[in-house]
Amino acid sequence: MLQKGTAKKVTIFVNEDTQHHFGSLCDAILTFLLHKGVSGATATRAMAGFGAHQLMHTTKIEVLTEHLPIRIEFIESSEKVDELMPTLYDMVTDGVIEVQDTNVVKVASKERPSPAKGPHTEMRGTARLMRIYMGESDKWQGEPLYEAILKRLRLMDIAGATVYRGILGYGVKGHTHKSGRLPFSHDLPVMISVVDTDEKLAKAVSEVESMMQDGLIVFSNVDVIRLVHSRPETESAHGNG
Amino acid sequence: MGTVKKAKLLRLHFGEGDQYNGKPLYEAIVNRCKELKIAGATVFRGLEGYGETAEIHRHHLIRKDQPIVVTIVDTTENLARLIPEVEQMMDTGMIATSDVEFMRIEKPPTAA
Repeated sequence: MLQKGTAKKVTIFVNEDTQHHFGSLCDAILTFLLHKGVSGATATRAMAGFGAHQLMHTTKIEVLTEHLPIRIEFIESSEKVDELMPTLYDMVTDGVIEVQDTNVVKVASKERPSPAKGPHTEMRGTARLMRIYMGESDKWQGEPLYEAILKRLRLMDIAGATVYRGILGYGVKGHTHKSGRLPFSHDLPVMISVVDTDEKLAKAVSEVESMMQDGLIVFSNVDVIRLVHSRPETESAHGNG
Repeated sequence: MGTVKKAKLLRLHFGEGDQYNGKPLYEAIVNRCKELKIAGATVFRGLEGYGETAEIHRHHLIRKDQPIVVTIVDTTENLARLIPEVEQMMDTGMIATSDVEFMRIEKPPTAA
């Protein structure tokens, strides 16, 4: 399974009609990648192009449609790419292989986690609790600040966060936050509570701080008991998040 | 990055139905906090809960009695001024304090 962070992106340019053991080279490469457990690969047929032979291939003229370029792309860890490269090098008898450094931002899968099997396990330890106080009507680039902060925390793989809406309150600025007479004219206090390790919160706090105009951030040390259903592969992927 | 200072967090737990001089207790407490120049106070309403009377606090059709939590962050000295006042106002409930560190964010208003 592909993970967030640095990775390699491999792009292979071949011709549609290049043969490999009496089959299409493109099919052979995809079959090989699938067999090796590569997390995903895409082959795209081009509209037009030319290669080392300096011949234009295009869909516009029927005679020239036979040799259209195909681009195969996949992203994998550096080690996996090193492992695959000798075979790919051998297979591509006519074409180009290119490797570049890339950064995987998100790996999402629609597959639902398998339903919990057996009892949960308890994970105990100490962690840090961060409470962020703001107003409900505070905005960050046009969207509600609490939503923007929540999204940012999620991007940073913070273990969890909850947004609470207060019913009354005031802060240093002295104005009372309370619900308006009209529906939607709210400026109630909002508090986001976040629990994670000290290091991860330290990173998160500077991001959050840059998004806030005015507010309060409060930290305390907490003991956590996490109840999790053991799913070894996800646990190892996300560390002790 | 703002400076992180040490402070106390005070939490008051009681019911939404609690009153003080004919006003909701949480409103009275927030007003008293303002009078005492406490830095800030926030009132949260819980969904359901129970306290020392073991009566479940929940939303009844005509009577509001959901749990209320008031959180206040300020210095130990300021909270020491506040706690006796609040204690006298509250009928039943719970007062909890914990040590926290806080960071105040106050940027000059800019065109956002």
